[in-house]
Amino acid sequence: MDLLLQILVNGILLGGLYALMALGLALVWGVLNIVNLAHGALIMVGGYATWMLFTRAGIDPFAALPITAVALFALGYAIQRGILNLVIRAPMFNTLLITFGLEVVLAYLAQFWFSADFRAINPRYAGNNFALGPVTLPTVQVAAFAIAIGLTVAMWLFLLHTRIGRGIRASAQNLVAARLYGVSPKRIYALTFGLGAALAGVAGGLYGLVSQINPYIGGPLTAKSFVIAIIGGLDNPLGVIVGGLALGVIESLTALYVGPTYRDVASFGILVLVLIVRPAGLLGRTA
Amino acid sequence: MYRASLLLAAGLLAAGPAAAQTVTFGASTQLTGPVANTGRYYKDAYQFAIDRINAEGGVKVGAKQEKLAVRILDNQSDVNLSVRQYVQLLSQDKVDFLLGGFASNFILADSSIAEKNQVPMVQGGGASDQIYSRGYKYIFGTLAPASDYFGSTIEAMRKLDPKPQKVALLYADDSFDVSVAKGTRDLLKKAGFDVVIDERYSSNASDFSSLLSRIKSASVDAVLMACHETEGLNFIRQAKSLDVEPKMYSLTVGVPSADFRQALGEDANGASGMTAWLPSPQLKDPWFGDAQKFAQDWKKRFGYEPDYHAAAGVAAVEAYVKAIEAAGSTDHAKVRDALAKVDFDSLYGHIKFGPTGQIDLPQTMVQIQHDAVVPIFSGERFVGKMQYPLLAWDKR
Repeated sequence: MDLLLQILVNGILLGGLYALMALGLALVWGVLNIVNLAHGALIMVGGYATWMLFTRAGIDPFAALPITAVALFALGYAIQRGILNLVIRAPMFNTLLITFGLEVVLAYLAQFWFSADFRAINPRYAGNNFALGPVTLPTVQVAAFAIAIGLTVAMWLFLLHTRIGRGIRASAQNLVAARLYGVSPKRIYALTFGLGAALAGVAGGLYGLVSQINPYIGGPLTAKSFVIAIIGGLDNPLGVIVGGLALGVIESLTALYVGPTYRDVASFGILVLVLIVRPAGLLGRTA
Repeated sequence: MYRASLLLAAGLLAAGPAAAQTVTFGASTQLTGPVANTGRYYKDAYQFAIDRINAEGGVKVGAKQEKLAVRILDNQSDVNLSVRQYVQLLSQDKVDFLLGGFASNFILADSSIAEKNQVPMVQGGGASDQIYSRGYKYIFGTLAPASDYFGSTIEAMRKLDPKPQKVALLYADDSFDVSVAKGTRDLLKKAGFDVVIDERYSSNASDFSSLLSRIKSASVDAVLMACHETEGLNFIRQAKSLDVEPKMYSLTVGVPSADFRQALGEDANGASGMTAWLPSPQLKDPWFGDAQKFAQDWKKRFGYEPDYHAAAGVAAVEAYVKAIEAAGSTDHAKVRDALAKVDFDSLYGHIKFGPTGQIDLPQTMVQIQHDAVVPIFSGERFVGKMQYPLLAWDKR
């Protein structure tokens, strides 16, 4: 029983990080209608940025997260204005190609600058934990979970209640009407992509705190984010939380009861199931 | 497919004995992609060995003195690309002999190209017993058999006090790790250990929380983990954060590598592993002096410490030179037969291939103490003091 409880907690904590990873991807996908295949690479860049700030400048990784976010926002904004805007009206296949190209370029640049060695963001407290009854809670993972949930809720409120947020949602729902009301899609698109990149950056910093960074972690992380975005749906950031948590718990339980080698079978199996039963996501509108 | 078979046919026609002034080796290894940080050992090892041997005069083929050269391609950590590149090396680049890249799953596929074309391949990157169980004649390997990686560790465990009772065996689902697990399972059984967890996980897994929680709940004393570096790294970090403290744990890959210790910092302390090679001055070498000098020269040239992958790569080139000189020719069949008979001391150890083509070297059990790799058990006796049982995580 204690074991099951511990495994559930592990899964939920893992799911929080998953949700944060997928949040930026879902946002960009929903608004710009671009499946950003470079999303995982942006997570990787965020990881390296936080690692640099920690090891070279001595800034605590959690304090470095806002700096990483701002840097990645600028990078995302520039990528959208300089590159993606060229193909914004093109068929989806072109945007897939261009983001895939970006992924390759970012990975190779990272190897060029940082080598293929593994890096871990490892402050002294990285392995700390505390006990809650029979359950062991890793401190950093709990903090990462709180940040992930906090950012998701903040994103939700931002989209719901601010002028820019409403502009973003309006562009996603009906671009022509949004333009008639004075929304400039150019600016909104760049802002959205910047936000997506900033979220990826924070996720990367947290990922480096609990796992390891190398130039090639991007691909698998994009795939995982993709699954979560599909499970959760693109309409609503809260759906991404549900998707992330569901995936984290299912993976952990699969590892316990079926065997750790079948985790990916479970997660991609769920993807197929959701696509069949609820194609708009668990919290999405039903058709 | 059609084009590939055409290339193969061309390769077969072109693979006759070469009459060049230089002996050219060909290899495909990982210079980019997820395995690039281990793949680089082979590129650097081949280049280093060839430069040194050329500086000493090169290789004597019959009465002629010839130079060595190597053509290295980047397989981008992709097995399929690697196989195509070996076809290219033989058919288009017309290299004389093949060397290998990293990891058993690559060698398993690449060695079929060598065998089909009857060109020898000596490789220091694949240890899986699977590679040598297919009756191939042209594949030789300088890594000790995967099935015996934990041999010295289990021997040491029998002599520890208090003897570990419950053991967990974890392994990734790739060719190397499955071979390790198969051999280790038998060894554990023979030694009478109680294996309470025997579990396979997916290769490149990043989350070990479920396994770790099971290990904790079963109060496992010793964890033996067949893994590659990223998996080992994640395992150790998560073990600390979930407060899982077995009396000892040992990893097949990672512990002897410098970047593994750098990434983990103090958390690496206490991790056990094994290596078939240590840079000791007792290992004499005809070209490099001895293993210690080799390690110093390597560090000076490449800026990082060599580990057993590097030494195994250099040994592959040296084995070729010995074999070509013994055969007195670069004829593939003759060199193959000479390789089967090589018998010499090198910086890597005593090089002599068994009947299947694989070398047999004892593994030394090592442990990371104070950020350095310390030899613990040589296969017969303790040569260092092991930290056992491990201290609490925050005291390491």
